[in-house]
Amino acid sequence: MLNASYVGRSLPTTEPVTITAASVTRFAQALGLPDDGTVPPTYLISLTLPAAERLIDDPDFGLDWSRVLHRDQRFAYHRELRAGAAVSCAVTIESIKTVAGNDLLGLHTDVRDGDGVAAEVWTTLFVAAPGAAA
Amino acid sequence: MSLRDLAVGETVFTASYPVTRADLVAYADASGDHNPIHQDEAAAKAAGLPDVIAHGMYTMGLVSRAVLEWAADSGIDARLTDFSARFAKPVIVPAAGGTTVEVEAKVRNLDEHSVELAMTVTSAGEKVLAPARATLAAK
Repeated sequence: MLNASYVGRSLPTTEPVTITAASVTRFAQALGLPDDGTVPPTYLISLTLPAAERLIDDPDFGLDWSRVLHRDQRFAYHRELRAGAAVSCAVTIESIKTVAGNDLLGLHTDVRDGDGVAAEVWTTLFVAAPGAAA
Repeated sequence: MSLRDLAVGETVFTASYPVTRADLVAYADASGDHNPIHQDEAAAKAAGLPDVIAHGMYTMGLVSRAVLEWAADSGIDARLTDFSARFAKPVIVPAAGGTTVEVEAKVRNLDEHSVELAMTVTSAGEKVLAPARATLAAK
């Protein structure tokens, strides 16, 4: 079980990383999207999930990544992001719900560029009870 | 076409995308998600799955493509502002022949400035994303 006292806690904001043109091209091509320098709608998950993976290294939190399934995903786009943008991720643990020994972990991430919050990303992870098949 | 030409309940597009194991390899490289259940049959079966499954985010990415292609093809000058999905069932991708992801979009909500689409996303007869929604706002 996850440590419910973490609800409301925020992880330290990640250092800004530049979204490279090459990574945008690769992502767009993998999905068959036009390669026009626009950051694809689902690209941000490749930044926000690694930002949250720091929770795995926290023994007090109790997150075992091998028991995690992706359950829900939502993006809100406040501005268009283009290749070359430098962004940082601020992850907050929004909710932890326990259902029959399994946990639902709700994360909210602000993706910021130099002008403020460009997108918000909500991810709900299903964390299977220890011993259950994920 | 503009948003005012749409009607609530109307089906605005259907799209169909073949998915092969090679597509999943390309997506793993692009996204950094190298979980072996998306590549390797033995790893998938060890995790209790019938076969290799697509990354949920790959399927969601195909839906984003369907929405953006529809907007571009119909000349709607709008920007995606909200996009969400629940991963209800896995997309199973056999080694031989792969599979297909089908997307059908209906207008769920509409006002002067924006449209919300509700997508039905299926593979091998199963609803794989449910619900899946996208909002576009006029530029």
